Amino acid sequence: MSGAGRIGAGALAAAAAGPAIAALVPPGVLLSLLVQACIYAILALSVGVLARQNGMVSFGHAAMFGAGAYLAGIGLGAPGQLPAEVALLLAVLAVTAVCFGLGLIVVRVHGIAFAMLTLALGQACFEAANKARGVTGGADGLTVALPREIFGLPAATFQRAEGMFLIAWLAMVALAALAALLARSRFGLLTEAIRENEERARFLGYGTVLPRAAVFALSGGIAAAGGVLYVLYNGFVSPETVHWSVSGSALIMALLGGTRTAWGPLAGAAVYFLLREQLVEVTERWLGLLGILLVLVMVFLPDGLSGLPRRLRRPRGAEA
Amino acid sequence: MSAPALSARGLARHYGGVAALRGVDLDLAPGEIRGLIGPNGAGKSTLVDVLSGRAPGSAGSVRLFGQDITGLGPAARRHAGLARSFQRTSIFPALPVGAQLELAARRVGATDAPRLLEELDLARLAAVPAQETAYGDQRRLDLALALVGPPRVLLLDEPAAGLTAEESLALADRLRELARARGVTVLLVEHDMEVVFRICERITVLELGAILAEGTPQEIRRHPEVVRAYLGSAAA
Ligand SMILES: Nc1ncnc2c1ncn2[C@@H]1O[C@H](COP(=O)(O)OP(=O)(O)OP(=O)(O)O)[C@@H](O)[C@H]1O
Ligand SMILES: [Mg+2]
Repeated sequence: MSGAGRIGAGALAAAAAGPAIAALVPPGVLLSLLVQACIYAILALSVGVLARQNGMVSFGHAAMFGAGAYLAGIGLGAPGQLPAEVALLLAVLAVTAVCFGLGLIVVRVHGIAFAMLTLALGQACFEAANKARGVTGGADGLTVALPREIFGLPAATFQRAEGMFLIAWLAMVALAALAALLARSRFGLLTEAIRENEERARFLGYGTVLPRAAVFALSGGIAAAGGVLYVLYNGFVSPETVHWSVSGSALIMALLGGTRTAWGPLAGAAVYFLLREQLVEVTERWLGLLGILLVLVMVFLPDGLSGLPRRLRRPRGAEA
Repeated sequence: MSAPALSARGLARHYGGVAALRGVDLDLAPGEIRGLIGPNGAGKSTLVDVLSGRAPGSAGSVRLFGQDITGLGPAARRHAGLARSFQRTSIFPALPVGAQLELAARRVGATDAPRLLEELDLARLAAVPAQETAYGDQRRLDLALALVGPPRVLLLDEPAAGLTAEESLALADRLRELARARGVTVLLVEHDMEVVFRICERITVLELGAILAEGTPQEIRRHPEVVRAYLGSAAA
Protein backbone atom coordinates (compact mmCIF):
# COMPACT_ATOMS: atom_id res chain seq x y z
CA MET A 1 0.00 0.00 0.00
CA SER A 2 1.27 3.48 -0.79
CA GLY A 3 2.15 5.84 2.04
CA ALA A 4 -0.90 8.02 1.44
CA GLY A 5 -3.06 4.90 1.30
CA ARG A 6 -1.68 3.74 4.63
CA ILE A 7 -2.40 7.11 6.20
CA GLY A 8 -5.94 7.04 4.84
CA ALA A 9 -6.55 3.52 6.11
CA GLY A 10 -5.06 4.37 9.49
CA ALA A 11 -7.21 7.47 9.75
CA LEU A 12 -10.37 5.54 8.87
CA ALA A 13 -9.58 2.88 11.46
CA ALA A 14 -8.85 5.54 14.07
CA ALA A 15 -12.04 7.38 13.19
CA ALA A 16 -14.03 4.17 13.59
CA ALA A 17 -12.49 3.64 17.01
CA GLY A 18 -14.17 6.85 18.20
CA PRO A 19 -17.74 5.53 18.43
CA ALA A 20 -16.39 2.31 19.96
CA ILE A 21 -14.70 4.22 22.76
CA ALA A 22 -17.79 6.36 23.24
CA ALA A 23 -19.88 3.19 23.57
CA LEU A 24 -17.49 1.63 26.08
CA VAL A 25 -16.96 4.64 28.33
CA PRO A 26 -20.11 5.68 30.20
CA PRO A 27 -20.82 9.41 30.32
CA GLY A 28 -19.12 10.82 33.36
CA VAL A 29 -15.81 12.08 34.62
CA LEU A 30 -13.72 9.78 32.49
CA LEU A 31 -15.48 10.71 29.26
CA SER A 32 -15.19 14.43 29.90
CA LEU A 33 -11.54 13.84 30.69
CA LEU A 34 -11.22 12.17 27.29
CA VAL A 35 -12.85 15.18 25.65
CA GLN A 36 -10.27 17.48 27.22
CA ALA A 37 -7.54 15.05 26.20
CA CYS A 38 -8.67 15.15 22.56
CA ILE A 39 -8.81 18.93 22.55
CA TYR A 40 -5.36 19.30 24.11
CA ALA A 41 -4.08 16.53 21.81
CA ILE A 42 -4.88 18.87 18.93
CA LEU A 43 -2.79 21.56 20.63
CA ALA A 44 0.02 19.03 21.15
CA LEU A 45 -0.29 18.03 17.49
CA SER A 46 0.23 21.65 16.44
CA VAL A 47 3.38 21.85 18.56
CA GLY A 48 4.52 18.55 17.03
CA VAL A 49 3.98 19.75 13.46
CA LEU A 50 6.18 22.76 14.12
CA ALA A 51 8.87 20.61 15.70
CA ARG A 52 8.82 18.01 12.98
CA GLN A 53 8.63 20.20 9.89
CA ASN A 54 10.53 23.22 11.13
CA GLY A 55 12.65 21.78 13.93
CA MET A 56 11.35 24.52 16.21
CA VAL A 57 10.32 24.20 19.84
CA SER A 58 7.49 26.51 20.85
CA PHE A 59 6.74 27.65 24.38
CA GLY A 60 3.90 29.85 23.24
CA HIS A 61 1.31 27.77 21.45
CA ALA A 62 -1.32 28.40 24.10
CA ALA A 63 -1.53 31.85 22.51
CA MET A 64 -2.79 30.42 19.22
CA PHE A 65 -5.06 28.00 21.04
CA GLY A 66 -6.44 30.80 23.20
CA ALA A 67 -6.73 33.18 20.26
CA GLY A 68 -8.84 30.60 18.44
CA ALA A 69 -11.04 30.20 21.52
CA TYR A 70 -11.43 33.95 22.13
CA LEU A 71 -12.07 34.81 18.48
CA ALA A 72 -14.66 32.04 18.18
CA GLY A 73 -16.25 33.16 21.44
CA ILE A 74 -16.35 36.79 20.38
CA GLY A 75 -17.70 35.82 16.95
CA LEU A 76 -20.44 33.68 18.47
CA GLY A 77 -21.27 36.41 20.98
CA ALA A 78 -21.67 39.17 18.42
CA PRO A 79 -25.42 39.03 18.01
CA GLY A 80 -26.98 38.38 14.63
CA GLN A 81 -24.01 39.30 12.51
CA LEU A 82 -22.28 36.16 11.35
CA PRO A 83 -23.60 32.64 11.01
CA ALA A 84 -21.93 30.60 13.78
CA GLU A 85 -20.20 28.30 11.30
CA VAL A 86 -18.60 31.28 9.55
CA ALA A 87 -17.51 32.76 12.87
CA LEU A 88 -15.76 29.52 13.87
CA LEU A 89 -14.07 29.17 10.51
CA LEU A 90 -12.98 32.80 10.55
CA ALA A 91 -11.43 32.33 13.98
CA VAL A 92 -9.20 29.56 12.64
CA LEU A 93 -8.38 31.43 9.43
CA ALA A 94 -7.57 34.66 11.26
CA VAL A 95 -5.12 32.92 13.57
CA THR A 96 -3.57 31.12 10.60
CA ALA A 97 -3.15 34.37 8.69
CA VAL A 98 -1.65 36.23 11.64
CA CYS A 99 0.73 33.34 12.27
CA PHE A 100 1.83 33.47 8.64
CA GLY A 101 2.68 37.14 8.94
CA LEU A 102 4.36 36.60 12.28
CA GLY A 103 6.11 33.54 10.88
CA LEU A 104 7.83 35.60 8.20
CA ILE A 105 9.66 37.29 11.05
CA VAL A 106 10.04 34.75 13.83
CA VAL A 107 11.26 31.80 11.74
CA ARG A 108 14.48 33.71 11.18
CA VAL A 109 15.23 33.19 14.86
CA HIS A 110 16.64 29.80 15.76
CA GLY A 111 17.03 27.40 18.67
CA ILE A 112 16.73 28.66 22.23
CA ALA A 113 16.19 32.22 21.06
CA PHE A 114 13.09 31.09 19.17
CA ALA A 115 11.79 29.23 22.23
CA MET A 116 12.29 32.37 24.34
CA LEU A 117 10.63 34.52 21.69
CA THR A 118 7.54 32.28 21.64
CA LEU A 119 7.45 32.35 25.42
CA ALA A 120 7.53 36.14 25.40
CA LEU A 121 4.92 36.45 22.67
CA GLY A 122 2.73 33.95 24.48
CA GLN A 123 2.93 35.91 27.72
CA ALA A 124 2.20 39.11 25.84
CA CYS A 125 -1.02 37.48 24.63
CA PHE A 126 -1.78 36.41 28.21
CA GLU A 127 -1.37 40.01 29.36
CA ALA A 128 -3.51 41.25 26.48
CA ALA A 129 -6.27 38.77 27.39
CA ASN A 130 -6.14 40.07 30.96
CA LYS A 131 -6.04 43.76 30.09
CA ALA A 132 -8.47 44.04 27.19
CA ARG A 133 -11.49 43.75 29.47
CA GLY A 134 -13.88 45.23 26.94
CA VAL A 135 -13.23 42.47 24.44
CA THR A 136 -12.08 39.49 26.48
CA GLY A 137 -13.80 40.06 29.81
CA GLY A 138 -10.38 40.37 31.43
CA ALA A 139 -9.53 38.04 34.28
CA ASP A 140 -13.17 37.05 34.67
CA GLY A 141 -13.08 35.45 31.27
CA LEU A 142 -15.58 35.34 28.47
CA THR A 143 -18.78 33.36 28.78
CA VAL A 144 -20.11 32.24 25.43
CA ALA A 145 -23.68 31.27 24.72
CA LEU A 146 -23.92 28.94 21.73
CA PRO A 147 -26.64 29.46 19.13
CA ARG A 148 -29.31 26.77 18.97
CA GLU A 149 -27.67 24.94 16.13
CA ILE A 150 -24.15 24.76 14.73
CA PHE A 151 -23.36 22.76 11.58
CA GLY A 152 -26.87 21.36 11.88
CA LEU A 153 -26.22 19.92 15.33
CA PRO A 154 -28.01 21.14 18.45
CA ALA A 155 -25.80 23.23 20.74
CA ALA A 156 -26.19 20.69 23.54
CA THR A 157 -24.28 18.14 21.44
CA PHE A 158 -21.19 20.32 21.71
CA GLN A 159 -21.47 20.84 25.42
CA ARG A 160 -22.12 17.29 26.52
CA ALA A 161 -19.23 14.88 26.75
CA GLU A 162 -21.04 12.16 24.75
CA GLY A 163 -21.48 14.46 21.78
CA MET A 164 -18.28 16.44 22.02
CA PHE A 165 -16.12 13.38 22.45
CA LEU A 166 -17.02 12.17 18.96
CA ILE A 167 -16.60 15.61 17.43
CA ALA A 168 -13.24 16.25 19.08
CA TRP A 169 -12.06 12.73 18.34
CA LEU A 170 -12.90 13.01 14.64
CA ALA A 171 -11.36 16.47 14.41
CA MET A 172 -8.23 15.18 16.09
CA VAL A 173 -7.94 12.20 13.72
CA ALA A 174 -8.59 14.35 10.66
CA LEU A 175 -6.00 16.95 11.66
CA ALA A 176 -3.41 14.26 12.46
CA ALA A 177 -4.05 12.64 9.07
CA LEU A 178 -3.60 16.04 7.46
CA ALA A 179 -0.30 16.50 9.28
CA ALA A 180 0.85 13.03 8.21
CA LEU A 181 -0.05 13.70 4.58
CA LEU A 182 1.74 17.02 4.74
CA ALA A 183 4.88 15.36 6.02
CA ARG A 184 4.82 12.95 3.08
CA SER A 185 4.18 15.63 0.48
CA ARG A 186 6.76 17.45 -1.61
CA PHE A 187 6.25 20.47 0.58
CA GLY A 188 6.84 18.30 3.65
CA LEU A 189 10.09 17.00 2.20
CA LEU A 190 11.24 20.53 1.45
CA THR A 191 10.51 21.77 4.96
CA GLU A 192 12.28 18.78 6.49
CA ALA A 193 15.28 19.49 4.28
CA ILE A 194 15.26 23.11 5.46
CA ARG A 195 15.01 21.86 9.04
CA GLU A 196 18.03 19.63 8.47
CA ASN A 197 20.22 22.13 6.66
CA GLU A 198 18.74 25.49 5.77
CA GLU A 199 21.89 26.80 4.12
CA ARG A 200 22.21 23.88 1.73
CA ALA A 201 18.53 24.20 0.82
CA ARG A 202 19.23 27.78 -0.24
CA PHE A 203 22.16 26.61 -2.35
CA LEU A 204 19.81 24.16 -4.08
CA GLY A 205 17.81 27.19 -5.16
CA TYR A 206 15.08 27.21 -2.52
CA GLY A 207 13.79 30.18 -0.63
CA THR A 208 13.55 29.02 2.98
CA VAL A 209 11.57 31.69 4.82
CA LEU A 210 8.21 31.22 3.06
CA PRO A 211 8.01 27.46 3.59
CA ARG A 212 8.95 27.84 7.25
CA ALA A 213 6.39 30.60 7.71
CA ALA A 214 3.76 28.40 6.03
CA VAL A 215 4.47 25.62 8.52
CA PHE A 216 4.26 28.10 11.38
CA ALA A 217 0.90 29.27 10.04
CA LEU A 218 -0.42 25.74 9.65
CA SER A 219 0.71 24.89 13.14
CA GLY A 220 -1.04 28.00 14.47
CA GLY A 221 -4.19 27.09 12.58
CA ILE A 222 -4.27 23.60 14.10
CA ALA A 223 -3.82 25.06 17.58
CA ALA A 224 -6.63 27.54 16.88
CA ALA A 225 -8.94 24.70 15.79
CA GLY A 226 -8.29 23.09 19.16
CA GLY A 227 -9.16 26.38 20.84
CA VAL A 228 -12.43 26.60 18.91
CA LEU A 229 -13.43 23.14 20.15
CA TYR A 230 -12.41 24.20 23.64
CA VAL A 231 -14.73 27.17 23.70
CA LEU A 232 -17.58 25.21 22.13
CA TYR A 233 -17.32 22.56 24.82
CA ASN A 234 -16.76 24.78 27.82
CA GLY A 235 -18.77 27.81 26.72
CA PHE A 236 -16.11 29.81 28.46
CA VAL A 237 -12.56 31.02 27.95
CA SER A 238 -10.28 32.94 30.31
CA PRO A 239 -6.67 34.12 30.31
CA GLU A 240 -5.72 30.87 32.07
CA THR A 241 -6.17 29.18 28.69
CA VAL A 242 -3.44 31.38 27.25
CA HIS A 243 -1.05 30.96 30.17
CA TRP A 244 2.45 29.72 29.39
CA SER A 245 1.86 26.64 31.56
CA VAL A 246 -0.67 25.47 28.96
CA SER A 247 2.01 25.87 26.29
CA GLY A 248 4.36 23.94 28.54
CA SER A 249 1.89 21.10 28.99
CA ALA A 250 1.35 20.87 25.23
CA LEU A 251 5.08 20.71 24.72
CA ILE A 252 5.37 17.95 27.34
CA MET A 253 2.65 15.97 25.56
CA ALA A 254 4.35 16.39 22.20
CA LEU A 255 7.78 15.36 23.52
CA LEU A 256 6.36 12.51 25.57
CA GLY A 257 4.63 11.09 22.52
CA GLY A 258 7.37 12.04 20.10
CA THR A 259 7.23 14.37 17.12
CA ARG A 260 8.55 12.08 14.41
CA THR A 261 5.04 10.88 13.69
CA ALA A 262 1.76 12.78 13.62
CA TRP A 263 0.16 10.40 16.12
CA GLY A 264 3.00 10.76 18.63
CA PRO A 265 1.69 13.97 20.25
CA LEU A 266 -1.79 12.43 20.41
CA ALA A 267 -0.44 9.44 22.30
CA GLY A 268 1.48 11.87 24.50
CA ALA A 269 -1.72 13.75 25.32
CA ALA A 270 -3.51 10.50 26.20
CA VAL A 271 -0.71 9.41 28.51
CA TYR A 272 -0.49 12.87 30.05
CA PHE A 273 -4.19 13.08 30.91
CA LEU A 274 -4.69 9.50 32.07
CA LEU A 275 -1.52 9.54 34.12
CA ARG A 276 -2.31 12.91 35.64
CA GLU A 277 -5.70 11.59 36.64
CA GLN A 278 -4.05 8.67 38.47
CA LEU A 279 -1.22 10.69 39.98
CA VAL A 280 -3.46 13.46 41.31
CA GLU A 281 -5.15 10.85 43.47
CA VAL A 282 -1.83 9.79 44.94
CA THR A 283 0.16 12.98 45.37
CA GLU A 284 0.04 16.71 44.94
CA ARG A 285 3.41 16.50 43.31
CA TRP A 286 2.01 14.87 40.18
CA LEU A 287 3.69 17.41 37.95
CA GLY A 288 7.07 16.46 39.39
CA LEU A 289 6.43 12.79 38.73
CA LEU A 290 5.35 13.61 35.21
CA GLY A 291 8.57 15.58 34.80
CA ILE A 292 10.60 12.57 35.88
CA LEU A 293 8.73 10.41 33.39
CA LEU A 294 9.48 12.93 30.66
CA VAL A 295 13.17 12.88 31.53
CA LEU A 296 13.22 9.08 31.42
CA VAL A 297 11.47 9.04 28.06
CA MET A 298 13.84 11.66 26.66
CA VAL A 299 16.87 9.69 27.83
CA PHE A 300 15.78 6.21 26.80
CA LEU A 301 13.40 7.02 23.94
CA PRO A 302 14.58 10.27 22.34
CA ASP A 303 11.87 9.85 19.71
CA GLY A 304 9.22 9.63 22.41
CA LEU A 305 6.69 6.88 22.96
CA SER A 306 5.89 6.78 19.26
CA GLY A 307 9.51 5.80 18.65
CA LEU A 308 8.94 2.63 20.64
CA PRO A 309 7.59 0.37 17.84
CA ARG A 310 10.47 1.36 15.60
CA ARG A 311 12.95 0.78 18.39
CA LEU A 312 11.50 -2.67 19.06
CA ARG A 313 11.58 -3.61 15.38
CA ARG A 314 15.09 -2.37 14.83
CA PRO A 315 17.14 -2.55 17.98
CA ARG A 316 20.07 -0.17 18.36
CA GLY A 317 22.90 -0.79 15.93
CA ALA A 318 20.77 -2.90 13.61
CA GLU A 319 19.89 0.03 11.39
CA ALA A 320 19.55 -0.83 7.71
CA MET B 1 35.15 35.93 -28.22
CA SER B 2 32.21 34.69 -26.18
CA ALA B 3 31.75 35.76 -22.56
CA PRO B 4 33.64 33.77 -19.93
CA ALA B 5 31.50 31.20 -18.09
CA LEU B 6 32.42 32.85 -14.83
CA SER B 7 34.21 36.13 -14.46
CA ALA B 8 35.25 37.88 -11.26
CA ARG B 9 36.79 41.33 -10.98
CA GLY B 10 38.46 42.84 -7.94
CA LEU B 11 36.88 40.54 -5.35
CA ALA B 12 37.77 41.49 -1.78
CA ARG B 13 36.64 40.27 1.62
CA HIS B 14 37.78 40.96 5.16
CA TYR B 15 37.23 39.10 8.42
CA GLY B 16 37.75 41.76 11.02
CA GLY B 17 41.28 42.92 10.34
CA VAL B 18 42.17 39.90 8.21
CA ALA B 19 42.02 40.45 4.46
CA ALA B 20 40.97 37.02 3.20
CA LEU B 21 40.69 38.20 -0.40
CA ARG B 22 42.49 41.23 -1.78
CA GLY B 23 41.33 42.05 -5.29
CA VAL B 24 40.99 38.73 -7.07
CA ASP B 25 40.32 38.58 -10.84
CA LEU B 26 39.29 35.27 -12.35
CA ASP B 27 38.00 34.15 -15.75
CA LEU B 28 36.79 30.62 -16.46
CA ALA B 29 36.34 29.63 -20.11
CA PRO B 30 33.15 27.71 -20.89
CA GLY B 31 33.68 24.00 -20.36
CA GLU B 32 37.07 24.22 -18.67
CA ILE B 33 38.02 22.49 -15.46
CA ARG B 34 40.07 24.98 -13.48
CA GLY B 35 42.11 24.03 -10.45
CA LEU B 36 42.38 26.43 -7.52
CA ILE B 37 45.23 25.69 -5.16
CA GLY B 38 47.04 27.49 -2.38
CA PRO B 39 48.27 26.94 1.16
CA ASN B 40 45.92 26.66 4.15
CA GLY B 41 44.23 29.96 4.81
CA ALA B 42 45.05 31.32 1.34
CA GLY B 43 41.43 32.31 0.84
CA LYS B 44 40.24 29.51 -1.47
CA SER B 45 37.05 28.80 0.46
CA THR B 46 36.44 32.51 0.91
CA LEU B 47 36.68 32.96 -2.86
CA VAL B 48 34.16 30.16 -3.41
CA ASP B 49 31.91 31.71 -0.75
CA VAL B 50 31.95 35.10 -2.43
CA LEU B 51 31.46 33.63 -5.90
CA SER B 52 28.53 31.51 -4.73
CA GLY B 53 26.83 34.24 -2.70
CA ARG B 54 27.42 32.63 0.69
CA ALA B 55 29.41 35.60 1.90
CA PRO B 56 29.20 39.11 0.52
CA GLY B 57 32.33 40.56 -0.93
CA SER B 58 33.37 44.00 0.28
CA ALA B 59 34.34 44.92 -3.27
CA GLY B 60 34.27 43.53 -6.77
CA SER B 61 31.80 41.94 -9.18
CA VAL B 62 30.86 38.50 -10.44
CA ARG B 63 29.43 37.67 -13.87
CA LEU B 64 27.97 34.40 -15.09
CA PHE B 65 28.09 34.13 -18.88
CA GLY B 66 28.04 37.91 -18.98
CA GLN B 67 25.14 38.32 -16.55
CA ASP B 68 25.99 40.36 -13.47
CA ILE B 69 25.10 38.20 -10.46
CA THR B 70 26.97 40.23 -7.84
CA GLY B 71 23.85 41.25 -5.95
CA LEU B 72 22.11 37.86 -6.05
CA GLY B 73 21.69 35.47 -3.12
CA PRO B 74 22.62 31.77 -3.25
CA ALA B 75 19.18 30.58 -4.41
CA ALA B 76 19.02 33.10 -7.26
CA ARG B 77 22.56 32.18 -8.32
CA ARG B 78 21.55 28.52 -8.43
CA HIS B 79 18.70 29.44 -10.74
CA ALA B 80 21.10 31.41 -12.90
CA GLY B 81 23.12 28.21 -13.25
CA LEU B 82 25.80 28.45 -10.56
CA ALA B 83 26.06 25.57 -8.06
CA ARG B 84 28.56 24.63 -5.38
CA SER B 85 29.60 21.92 -2.97
CA PHE B 86 31.13 22.37 0.48
CA GLN B 87 34.50 21.65 2.08
CA ARG B 88 32.70 20.41 5.20
CA THR B 89 30.04 17.96 4.01
CA SER B 90 26.74 19.78 3.75
CA ILE B 91 23.82 17.41 3.23
CA PHE B 92 20.47 16.64 4.90
CA PRO B 93 21.43 13.99 7.46
CA ALA B 94 17.99 12.53 8.28
CA LEU B 95 16.65 12.42 4.72
CA PRO B 96 17.05 9.49 2.33
CA VAL B 97 19.75 9.96 -0.29
CA GLY B 98 17.35 9.61 -3.23
CA ALA B 99 14.86 12.11 -1.82
CA GLN B 100 17.62 14.71 -1.41
CA LEU B 101 18.61 14.41 -5.03
CA GLU B 102 14.99 14.58 -6.14
CA LEU B 103 14.57 17.75 -4.13
CA ALA B 104 17.65 19.28 -5.74
CA ALA B 105 16.54 18.22 -9.23
CA ARG B 106 12.96 19.40 -8.89
CA ARG B 107 13.93 22.95 -8.14
CA VAL B 108 15.89 23.38 -11.33
CA GLY B 109 13.58 21.24 -13.46
CA ALA B 110 16.24 18.56 -13.92
CA THR B 111 15.53 14.97 -14.92
CA ASP B 112 18.98 13.51 -14.46
CA ALA B 113 18.73 12.62 -10.75
CA PRO B 114 18.29 8.85 -11.24
CA ARG B 115 21.16 8.71 -13.71
CA LEU B 116 23.42 10.75 -11.48
CA LEU B 117 22.67 8.42 -8.58
CA GLU B 118 23.88 5.54 -10.73
CA GLU B 119 26.92 7.40 -11.97
CA LEU B 120 28.03 8.38 -8.49
CA ASP B 121 27.35 4.91 -7.11
CA LEU B 122 24.59 6.13 -4.81
CA ALA B 123 21.61 4.32 -6.35
CA ARG B 124 21.90 1.40 -3.93
CA LEU B 125 21.61 3.93 -1.06
CA ALA B 126 18.61 5.82 -2.46
CA ALA B 127 16.29 4.82 0.40
CA VAL B 128 18.88 5.13 3.18
CA PRO B 129 19.03 8.25 5.40
CA ALA B 130 22.27 10.05 4.57
CA GLN B 131 23.48 9.95 8.16
CA GLU B 132 23.56 6.13 7.99
CA THR B 133 25.84 6.05 4.96
CA ALA B 134 29.64 5.97 4.87
CA TYR B 135 31.67 9.17 4.81
CA GLY B 136 32.72 8.63 1.21
CA ASP B 137 29.08 8.22 0.18
CA GLN B 138 28.23 11.48 1.91
CA ARG B 139 30.98 13.28 0.00
CA ARG B 140 29.62 11.96 -3.30
CA LEU B 141 26.11 12.97 -2.24
CA ASP B 142 27.34 16.50 -1.54
CA LEU B 143 28.82 16.51 -5.06
CA ALA B 144 25.66 15.04 -6.59
CA LEU B 145 23.47 17.74 -5.01
CA ALA B 146 25.58 20.36 -6.76
CA LEU B 147 25.94 18.52 -10.06
CA VAL B 148 22.29 17.64 -10.64
CA GLY B 149 20.72 19.75 -13.34
CA PRO B 150 23.39 20.15 -14.53
CA PRO B 151 24.37 23.70 -13.57
CA ARG B 152 26.34 25.76 -16.05
CA VAL B 153 29.17 26.46 -13.61
CA LEU B 154 30.13 24.31 -10.65
CA LEU B 155 32.28 25.43 -7.72
CA LEU B 156 33.73 22.50 -5.80
CA ASP B 157 35.46 23.18 -2.48
CA GLU B 158 37.70 20.18 -1.86
CA PRO B 159 35.18 17.52 -2.90
CA ALA B 160 37.69 14.84 -1.92
CA ALA B 161 38.42 16.25 1.56
CA GLY B 162 38.94 13.41 4.01
CA LEU B 163 39.12 10.68 1.38
CA THR B 164 42.14 8.44 0.88
CA ALA B 165 44.54 9.23 -1.98
CA GLU B 166 43.10 6.35 -3.95
CA GLU B 167 39.51 7.43 -3.39
CA SER B 168 40.43 11.00 -4.32
CA LEU B 169 41.84 9.96 -7.67
CA ALA B 170 38.83 7.77 -8.41
CA LEU B 171 36.47 10.62 -7.54
CA ALA B 172 38.50 13.05 -9.66
CA ASP B 173 38.28 10.77 -12.71
CA ARG B 174 34.55 10.37 -12.22
CA LEU B 175 34.18 14.10 -11.84
CA ARG B 176 36.06 14.80 -15.05
CA GLU B 177 33.87 12.36 -16.97
CA LEU B 178 30.65 13.81 -15.55
CA ALA B 179 31.66 17.42 -16.14
CA ARG B 180 32.87 16.76 -19.70
CA ALA B 181 29.76 14.80 -20.64
CA ARG B 182 27.57 17.63 -19.38
CA GLY B 183 29.67 20.52 -20.59
CA VAL B 184 29.87 21.95 -17.09
CA THR B 185 32.50 24.56 -16.28
CA VAL B 186 34.25 23.63 -13.02
CA LEU B 187 36.30 25.51 -10.45
CA LEU B 188 37.95 22.83 -8.36
CA VAL B 189 39.56 23.68 -5.03
CA GLU B 190 41.84 20.82 -4.13
CA HIS B 191 44.72 20.11 -1.80
CA ASP B 192 45.88 16.99 -3.58
CA MET B 193 48.29 18.18 -6.29
CA GLU B 194 48.14 14.85 -8.05
CA VAL B 195 44.39 15.24 -8.48
CA VAL B 196 44.68 18.81 -9.74
CA PHE B 197 47.44 18.07 -12.24
CA ARG B 198 45.49 15.08 -13.47
CA ILE B 199 42.16 16.64 -14.35
CA CYS B 200 42.62 20.42 -14.66
CA GLU B 201 43.51 22.17 -17.90
CA ARG B 202 44.52 25.32 -16.09
CA ILE B 203 45.43 26.08 -12.51
CA THR B 204 45.15 29.25 -10.45
CA VAL B 205 47.32 29.65 -7.38
CA LEU B 206 46.09 31.77 -4.49
CA GLU B 207 48.28 33.00 -1.66
CA LEU B 208 47.34 35.41 1.13
CA GLY B 209 44.14 36.33 -0.67
CA ALA B 210 45.78 37.28 -3.95
CA ILE B 211 46.53 35.42 -7.16
CA LEU B 212 50.13 34.30 -7.24
CA ALA B 213 50.14 32.51 -10.56
CA GLU B 214 47.93 31.08 -13.27
CA GLY B 215 48.73 28.66 -16.08
CA THR B 216 48.79 25.16 -17.41
CA PRO B 217 49.83 22.33 -15.07
CA GLN B 218 53.30 22.34 -16.68
CA GLU B 219 53.73 26.08 -16.13
CA ILE B 220 52.54 25.87 -12.54
CA ARG B 221 54.82 22.97 -11.73
CA ARG B 222 57.81 25.00 -12.88
CA HIS B 223 56.74 28.29 -11.32
CA PRO B 224 59.42 29.07 -8.71
CA GLU B 225 57.19 31.12 -6.40
CA VAL B 226 54.50 28.45 -6.45
CA VAL B 227 56.99 25.82 -5.52
CA ARG B 228 58.16 28.03 -2.65
CA ALA B 229 54.73 29.07 -1.36
CA TYR B 230 52.80 25.90 -1.89
CA LEU B 231 55.31 23.19 -1.15
CA GLY B 232 56.53 25.19 1.80
CA SER B 233 53.19 25.04 3.57
CA ALA B 234 52.13 21.65 2.28
CA ALA B 235 55.16 20.20 3.98
CA ALA B 236 54.20 21.82 7.28
N1 LIG C 1 34.43 32.89 9.38
C1 LIG C 1 35.66 33.41 9.50
N2 LIG C 1 35.94 34.29 10.48
C2 LIG C 1 37.15 34.82 10.60
N3 LIG C 1 38.17 34.54 9.78
C3 LIG C 1 37.97 33.68 8.78
C4 LIG C 1 36.70 33.06 8.59
N4 LIG C 1 36.79 32.24 7.52
C5 LIG C 1 38.04 32.34 7.07
N5 LIG C 1 38.75 33.19 7.81
C6 LIG C 1 40.15 33.57 7.57
O1 LIG C 1 40.26 33.96 6.23
C7 LIG C 1 41.45 33.44 5.66
C8 LIG C 1 41.11 32.58 4.46
O2 LIG C 1 40.41 31.41 4.89
P1 LIG C 1 39.85 30.34 3.88
O3 LIG C 1 39.02 29.39 4.65
O4 LIG C 1 39.21 31.01 2.74
O5 LIG C 1 41.17 29.61 3.39
P2 LIG C 1 41.35 28.31 2.51
O6 LIG C 1 42.31 28.65 1.44
O7 LIG C 1 40.05 27.76 2.10
O8 LIG C 1 42.05 27.32 3.54
P3 LIG C 1 41.97 25.73 3.68
O9 LIG C 1 42.93 25.18 2.71
O10 LIG C 1 42.39 25.48 5.09
O11 LIG C 1 40.57 25.32 3.42
C9 LIG C 1 42.16 32.69 6.77
O12 LIG C 1 43.09 33.55 7.34
C10 LIG C 1 41.07 32.39 7.75
O13 LIG C 1 41.58 32.31 9.06
MG1 LIG D 1 39.03 26.01 2.44
